[in-house]
Amino acid sequence: MPGKHLSGDSGQQCRRCKENVSVLVVRSEPLCRDCFIKYVHTKVIKRMESFRVRNTAPDQQRKILLAVSFGVSSVSLLNILDHHLQTQKAKTGRTGFSLNIIFVNTSSVDSSAVPLDLRQRLQERFSEYHFTSVGLQDVFNDPQRDALHDIAPGLEVAGDSSPLQQLETLFKSLKTAAGRADVVSTLRTRLIVQHAKALGCEGVSWGDSTTKLAEKTLSETAKGRGFSLPWQTADGESPLGITFNYPMRDVLKKELVNYAEMTDPPLSSLIDYSTLSAPTTVNSKTTTIDDLMQHYFESVEENFPSIVSNVVRTTGKLEAPSTSESQVRCALCSMPVEDGRFGIHGWGGDQQDGVAYAPGESGPLCYGCTRSAPRNP
Amino acid sequence: MRTSLCALCKENRSVIIRPKDRAKLCKLCFINVFETEIHHTITTNNLFHRGEKIAIGASGGKDSTVLASVLKTLNERYDYGVELILLSIDEGIKGYRDDSLETVKRNAMQYEMPLTILGYEELYGWTMDQVVEQVGKKGNCTYCGVFRRQALDRGAARLGVKHVVTGHNADDVAETVLMNLLRGDLPRLSRTTSIVTSTPSASSDPASNTNIKRSKPLKYAYEKEIVMYAMHKKLDYFSTECIYSPEAFRGSARTLIKKLEQVRPSSILDIVRSGEDMAKLVPGNDEGCGGTCSNSIPVADEEEGGCGSANGRTAGGEMATMEQQLAQNEVASENALEVDLTTPKVNGQRNDRHNSGTVPLPNRRKGKKGGEAFIPKKAPTKQTMGTCERCGYLSSQKICKACVLLEGLNKSRPKNGLEISYDSQPKEESSVNGIINGLEKTAIAGD
Repeated sequence: MPGKHLSGDSGQQCRRCKENVSVLVVRSEPLCRDCFIKYVHTKVIKRMESFRVRNTAPDQQRKILLAVSFGVSSVSLLNILDHHLQTQKAKTGRTGFSLNIIFVNTSSVDSSAVPLDLRQRLQERFSEYHFTSVGLQDVFNDPQRDALHDIAPGLEVAGDSSPLQQLETLFKSLKTAAGRADVVSTLRTRLIVQHAKALGCEGVSWGDSTTKLAEKTLSETAKGRGFSLPWQTADGESPLGITFNYPMRDVLKKELVNYAEMTDPPLSSLIDYSTLSAPTTVNSKTTTIDDLMQHYFESVEENFPSIVSNVVRTTGKLEAPSTSESQVRCALCSMPVEDGRFGIHGWGGDQQDGVAYAPGESGPLCYGCTRSAPRNP
Repeated sequence: MRTSLCALCKENRSVIIRPKDRAKLCKLCFINVFETEIHHTITTNNLFHRGEKIAIGASGGKDSTVLASVLKTLNERYDYGVELILLSIDEGIKGYRDDSLETVKRNAMQYEMPLTILGYEELYGWTMDQVVEQVGKKGNCTYCGVFRRQALDRGAARLGVKHVVTGHNADDVAETVLMNLLRGDLPRLSRTTSIVTSTPSASSDPASNTNIKRSKPLKYAYEKEIVMYAMHKKLDYFSTECIYSPEAFRGSARTLIKKLEQVRPSSILDIVRSGEDMAKLVPGNDEGCGGTCSNSIPVADEEEGGCGSANGRTAGGEMATMEQQLAQNEVASENALEVDLTTPKVNGQRNDRHNSGTVPLPNRRKGKKGGEAFIPKKAPTKQTMGTCERCGYLSSQKICKACVLLEGLNKSRPKNGLEISYDSQPKEESSVNGIINGLEKTAIAGD
């Protein structure tokens, strides 16, 4: 089993360096610590090829915004990119890009609470990078926030209240845990993009591992957002007007758990492990679709890691339709909606006569967002 | 006492909570709304035309029994003017199909529809019981699926019917969408969401068994509502599941869907919607628009899954085999990449998973012999359809899947024991042994 620890005595010779004793088996290869760390770094750096030093003009620093959630993957990515930048500097005297870090605090509307000392430790360890911490309510400071006001009843009139109050009004209108979790992640993405643009970054790097991208594929499918999958999982220009990059897409989550422990110094003290495993019991009130998928892929990853990668590879083959600025978009997730097919009505699965889709009726929200944030409770 | 009134008629007491949207309805309104929705599906997709003779693929199970009952009701109520007949396939599974066929016979009398039963034994010379005896329980669903598809078409051709309707419901479609994502099969994903499929005729012979239209009027109907409908209408159906185990991928997807439905009842419909939308994003796919565009009908699948019997009881043999195969390819492409970064074979063949450059021959063979069930042999380009050299059935290959499977079965029939390993053994062993070991074995088996 990849990523599985071997007990001390059974350590075989490392398949790569043929010198050291292996400490774990990665995709059926026994590897020593050093070769494993190198393996992870190589997989990630390969994804950063367009940010090589030689691709950058010396007088123009390219900027990337790294979204950090304090989970294993994003903290590991920060560590790897930091290492990469130090290497670039040592080799060429300059770097191919500069790094900004952003953390979105969503604790006002969900149960996540990243301890303050984690944040402080992370900032101390990676002190050379600009670190921003914002609350989710900041999304209402967006110049385009007006679009958000159509989403929940009462938000239009609440327009003058504080962003936090507006956020609370919005979340009070959401009836299910699955819907709330979905809206949190949508708003989080929105806020990160907003900051990336404000900071002059050309793109956002996300820490999503292979496992996370596979979860996302199935959960967005389950949420009725199959149409937007290529935009949500592929590297490149996103319809949000900025480049998205998933450098960890070739590394499994369990490999990153090992990486965070084995890298020197370990990253464990910077990571919020509370979100590492999904709740095992299904409760229709509190379980979210993302929870279900996380739980599902935990077991698939354990026994069938290549199937996890294959899901991501398969999604990567879907072709995104061409987008243009003028296209109609969902008021919440900002994804282009083909032919303005907003809402949940007006398709084969909506089997009612006479309920034709009325444009502008509900936001307008895309199919998936309408499921998460229905206007009529 | 807290009684609430039906949300629709506002008169009767509500006794049903609709699984689809948790609406509280009385029995009459539920039956009415369920039927009306299927009528809506039929009319908006123009599934039927007046004077058409339609065969209902009837298994005696809940889906096809409800389908027969609803179609009879709607045909009378809305005067579709279609002629409905029942077509049953006898797979030859003792203790399951023989009992369910008795149900179909009763249905034929209850609904006053003529019934035709066509057996695998008659068509192929093999009953499923014999197939399972030969190949074991793993992967037998592939045989059954491939055989059934052809059997229905052949039966329809015999009866002079050009249209077969099947009882595939929303849960089946959603399950297939997730399953095909899990096994990385985009071409099938795009075909499966379509409400109408067809096997366009390659010959001009009107009696050709390849020019049969297929449709799924229950595509948007929830399995739970189908059960409720059958219960409240007191329909006579057979509820025992097939005794042979389902594919692991399907079982795994099914379990997941049941949980999703618990968390958000609309999930099943939402997955169907996603599947329809994703079909449009599959490269080279100008046909599978999920049944939403009118002028193009996707070519039907040679094996349409979802025989309605899956609880994920297998140990995951298919998943293990696929895992093994994918892992081999990963290692192969990794090694190739380390040696030569620009090998066009490795980078260029983005869709052909078996053929990753370094291990072409053994792997390919393996895909043909052992991995038939879940590895698509073709890239997701449009299929070019021809007819099978042996039986004349429509096929994208020289020889159709059924004939390939039959060949394997017949080869091992006269002898016994030793030759069985030819088909099923390498698969099992390679999932136990190491990669290299497995590779050698398949290479030998392929020779």
